[in-house]
Amino acid sequence: MKARLLLIPLSPLALVAPAYAVTYLTVEQAQTLMFEGSVLTRDFRVLTPEQIQAIESDSGVKVANPQLNAWRDGAGGWFVLDQVIGKHEFINYAVALDANGAVRQLEILDYHESYGGEVHLPAWRRQFVGKHHGSQLQLNGDIKNISGATLSCGHVTDGVRRLLSTYALVLAAAEH
Amino acid sequence: MKTPMNLSLRALLALAVLSAAGAAQADPVTSDADAREQKLERHVEELARQLQAVQAELQALKAQNQAAASARAAPASPAPQAPQQPVQTAAIAAAPTPPAAPAAPASSPFENLSLWGYGEVYYTHPTHDSKRTEFDLARAVFGIGYKFDDRTLFNSEYEVEHAVSSADDVGEFEVEQFYIDRLLSDQVGVRAGLILMPFGLLNEYHEPTNFYGVQRNFVETLIIPSTWREGGAALHGETEFGLAWNAGITSDQDLSKWNFAPEFPQYVTALDLEDNDVAPLQATHQELALAKGQHLAQYLALNYNGVPGLKVGASIFNGKLATVPAPPNAPVPDDQHLTLWEAHARWMPGNFDISALYAHGAISNLAAINAENPGSPNPIPSSFLGYYGQVAYTAWQSGGYRFAPFVRWEHYDMGASYEGVSGPVVPSGLVPVSAAPGDYGYWPRGFDRVWTFGANYYLGPHVVLKADYQSFRVNTDFSRYDLGLGLNF
Repeated sequence: MKARLLLIPLSPLALVAPAYAVTYLTVEQAQTLMFEGSVLTRDFRVLTPEQIQAIESDSGVKVANPQLNAWRDGAGGWFVLDQVIGKHEFINYAVALDANGAVRQLEILDYHESYGGEVHLPAWRRQFVGKHHGSQLQLNGDIKNISGATLSCGHVTDGVRRLLSTYALVLAAAEH
Repeated sequence: MKTPMNLSLRALLALAVLSAAGAAQADPVTSDADAREQKLERHVEELARQLQAVQAELQALKAQNQAAASARAAPASPAPQAPQQPVQTAAIAAAPTPPAAPAAPASSPFENLSLWGYGEVYYTHPTHDSKRTEFDLARAVFGIGYKFDDRTLFNSEYEVEHAVSSADDVGEFEVEQFYIDRLLSDQVGVRAGLILMPFGLLNEYHEPTNFYGVQRNFVETLIIPSTWREGGAALHGETEFGLAWNAGITSDQDLSKWNFAPEFPQYVTALDLEDNDVAPLQATHQELALAKGQHLAQYLALNYNGVPGLKVGASIFNGKLATVPAPPNAPVPDDQHLTLWEAHARWMPGNFDISALYAHGAISNLAAINAENPGSPNPIPSSFLGYYGQVAYTAWQSGGYRFAPFVRWEHYDMGASYEGVSGPVVPSGLVPVSAAPGDYGYWPRGFDRVWTFGANYYLGPHVVLKADYQSFRVNTDFSRYDLGLGLNF
């Protein structure tokens, strides 16, 4: 079955690339790729100051944007959009979580710099599959680095650790 | 910000709630009133939930608008220890949830501008020759980039070496990079201008936070002349399985800059050796300063990044050089060609960071040129080479702090073979090494084996403190302690 995505107006979420960028996937393409055949329902949140503090304390990563862009699928999984800084520019990426909160897939949506774009390589992204809240998720620990792309690798790793804390403390907590 | 659309959405939801309530009042008597009541309650709860979602979305849009506005107001005030914070306003507009309005034209010419920088300060103390201890702001580099559109980028870096650049000082002001990078597709880009050569592990990633040791290793300074840049154009790209490729046509070296007859040694410390442009490709580099362009060179570089934690690569450069003018009535020598190739690997299993590199350079047809300069302490070598192995280990890390000791062994030889002469003719024993009265030393040899023991201590990703000890096996007076401070943002 072709993906039927309940994307209440997607236009505000469409990736705008006002500057030099390699766009690997749009949000819609990433959703189709990661949740083909599922119905995704938008479930956006604005993190409260208390939630932000809890996430920062739990993950050790600063929360720069209180907006949580998450979609829920019918089977209990989540599609979460996020962004981190590479060296100077944002990297937009998406994480698919299964019903238990483990990472099922990570996709880089775009990259805006002339060096460090190797984070989009499938072999590097596959390292995140199966990681869950509580996984170590440290660069040069359970996530191997790419020489020449250290900042991008480190920041995406930090971003996923922050998202897994967000899942545990906000998304999963709200369901119980 | 309440838009008419948002208000009408709210009104619709409110109307739906009221109509649902009205429907309940219009039908007071039924056989299953309880069931209907429960259904209505669920309906109202669902509408309330949707209303909350709409409110949340409104708040999010407000927050984003405020963030974008404040970022425009203060484009150059990033929080240095908060990597999640944007460092420039252009990036704000690239957020995955920008305001609903389409991307507005840049409201400021600074929106697509990037600024960055790096630099390093050394303290170096030769253990056998402490009077040559030096303290140096080795380099202060600032970068400016501009993004013209979604396919075209400009990057540039400007460097001051040794703090002061004037007619009376040793410092230099240099343009280190100056290029346009345009994406031809998502897989292939073209870069043109003054570009960094993709050779070795260090040349393109030469910021002090990216290498171990206070100074760069000797092989990637004396054999691969980092920071090596040439004028030219290159195509580059990377395949989905991790093979990065880069091929270009560039300017090359000028042998007429060679100094065959230095009165004194061109370097008397290890720091001089790195700084004084004595190595074959340092002494002849042109750096796009009115570079002789009659001949062009070509290069190819391949790197495989397909296995996380592993990088292996190799590159080769070949070109016909601008030559030394032949004396009157002397036969014109054949063309000189330079070939430089290198292979490298870096493996980062767990806390280890292991790297190795081999580099070899050769210049052809030098016999006649060297023969014109008999007895030279500094003939042009026909070949030069170097290799190193290095092991670093992250012994401790917490938060952004990281402590990584390392050891490196390297061998360099700036004159592995010669044509036309048997080699440099240098005096032995103590000789004057400068014009200063009483300044005696040994004429250094152009090859050595060096052990380096040291540690990098990172204060986050942008600042590093370094210390090392280097033991030279041939030029033993070069052995030294070093301290360094590096930064990169």
